[in-house]
Amino acid sequence: MPSSGGKKFTREEELLLQDFSRNISTKSSALFYGNALIVAALPIWLFWRIHQLDITQTQTIILFAVVTLLSTWLIAFAYRNVKFSLRHKIAQKREDAVSKEVLKKLTPVEAKKMSRKEKDERILWKKNEVADHEATTFSIFYNNTLFILIILVASFFLLYTFDASVYP
Amino acid sequence: MASLGCAFVAACLLLLVPFSSAGESCLKPTVEHQIYTTTEAVTSTDTVFLVEFDLKCSNAIKNPFLYADVSGRQLPVSRSGDNLYQVSWVEERKNAPAGTYTVKLFDEEGFSALRKAQRAEEDVSTVTPLTSIAFSHKGVSQGPIVSSELLAVVLSGLLWYAAYSAKQRILS
Amino acid sequence: MKLLALLGVFLLVGVATSQDGARLLAAKNLLNEYLVEGKDVTVLYSIYNVGSSAALNVALTDNTFPDTDFNVVRGKLSVQWERIAPGSNVTHSVILQPLKSQFFNFTSAIVTYLPVEDGAEKSTFTSAPEQKGIVSLKEFDKRFSPHYMDWAVFAVMTVPPICIPFLLWSMSKRKYESSGVTGKTRKN
Repeated sequence: MPSSGGKKFTREEELLLQDFSRNISTKSSALFYGNALIVAALPIWLFWRIHQLDITQTQTIILFAVVTLLSTWLIAFAYRNVKFSLRHKIAQKREDAVSKEVLKKLTPVEAKKMSRKEKDERILWKKNEVADHEATTFSIFYNNTLFILIILVASFFLLYTFDASVYP
Repeated sequence: MASLGCAFVAACLLLLVPFSSAGESCLKPTVEHQIYTTTEAVTSTDTVFLVEFDLKCSNAIKNPFLYADVSGRQLPVSRSGDNLYQVSWVEERKNAPAGTYTVKLFDEEGFSALRKAQRAEEDVSTVTPLTSIAFSHKGVSQGPIVSSELLAVVLSGLLWYAAYSAKQRILS
Repeated sequence: MKLLALLGVFLLVGVATSQDGARLLAAKNLLNEYLVEGKDVTVLYSIYNVGSSAALNVALTDNTFPDTDFNVVRGKLSVQWERIAPGSNVTHSVILQPLKSQFFNFTSAIVTYLPVEDGAEKSTFTSAPEQKGIVSLKEFDKRFSPHYMDWAVFAVMTVPPICIPFLLWSMSKRKYESSGVTGKTRKN
């Protein structure tokens, strides 16, 4: 774990490594699980209102709870995977724009005072932050659309096999 | 067997004609009608056409025996009261498109003339009916063409595809 | 097809019994797949004359639909035909609306006729569709309505989980990919 072995790395190295690390902050983890739970709960409406599952039965409630928790975990897992597959690419693409922004923001006094290394560090930090933000939000967006498509397709076919048995 | 049956029925009817057409025919007939046709597809398998009508004649004739002809098919007309009649028929959905339907009503005399013309393969339209009832059948609603489930699947598919291509652009 | 087969059977029966004047066989059928509270139901009566002569003064009477359970939309439950020729058939239909959701026992209607002129009146029963369930309108809507409202609510619920992350991402993307910056990037 790069963060635990922090003493061995310089701050710059640490920032560079962060670009590739699969480590996740508690804040981002909470964001992932929170989002995943909301999306995983959407099918409950679908099955209750449109597929007419009786939600007053204990069995159904337990089934809903188990399936929702399982999909929450799976969705959060997918969020993380997609995020890591994207973050490095985004970081590369944002490099120039971010360094320009960071340098622009420095006051002339600061710019003179700061060493090149310090400036690079600040750019690197900002770049990581932007890439992280974009990768996280895009990953959530992408996986949400994917999940909704999957549940709709699945329930669509389920509905059709269901309908035959609706009437005696 | 069907044609034999038809001939048999026609022969019987011809035998009966001289006995019952003794009465005078309806003069200046007017009809007031009420129509029912099937409009919903979900609950029924066939399309039902039902015409109830009230026949009025200028002379005092009461409850004349009537036949109906709907697009070349002869149907017996049932009577439900004084000069109150009903004619109904059932069609398979595919044979009952929306459009105008005409029920031609014949009295005994007209009907035998119609049968004669049919048998001789003459033009049936030359036989003038007593009166006729035209009505339009609006067709049967099948519900929405695209089901809401399919629409939802298609929309979410498009959304996902947009997200997917955005992802590919990032990774390129 | 089924009707034709039935008619064939009736005709055969007719041959066997053709000596004693008219003989009527009657069927009562419901034409609907589902019987739904408040939705039209078609009752079809078919009367076949399998006898040797015309049946006269044929009257069909159906008293099996109480006012409390059914509403007559169109057609009459009591009709007559002056005669039905031998070997022919007549049909009659009535449109009803069930008023209640229940199991209803559909029983026979009665057909009375004169088998021969000046003969004694004969009566016969139609076949009976028997016990059928009438689905409540609410249950029917649940199963057959397109659920527009439910789908609309579902659509509204999917908007935030999709649009919020998308907007956050595209705002950041636009900020760093504004034309001036990317243009310079490419030159480098």
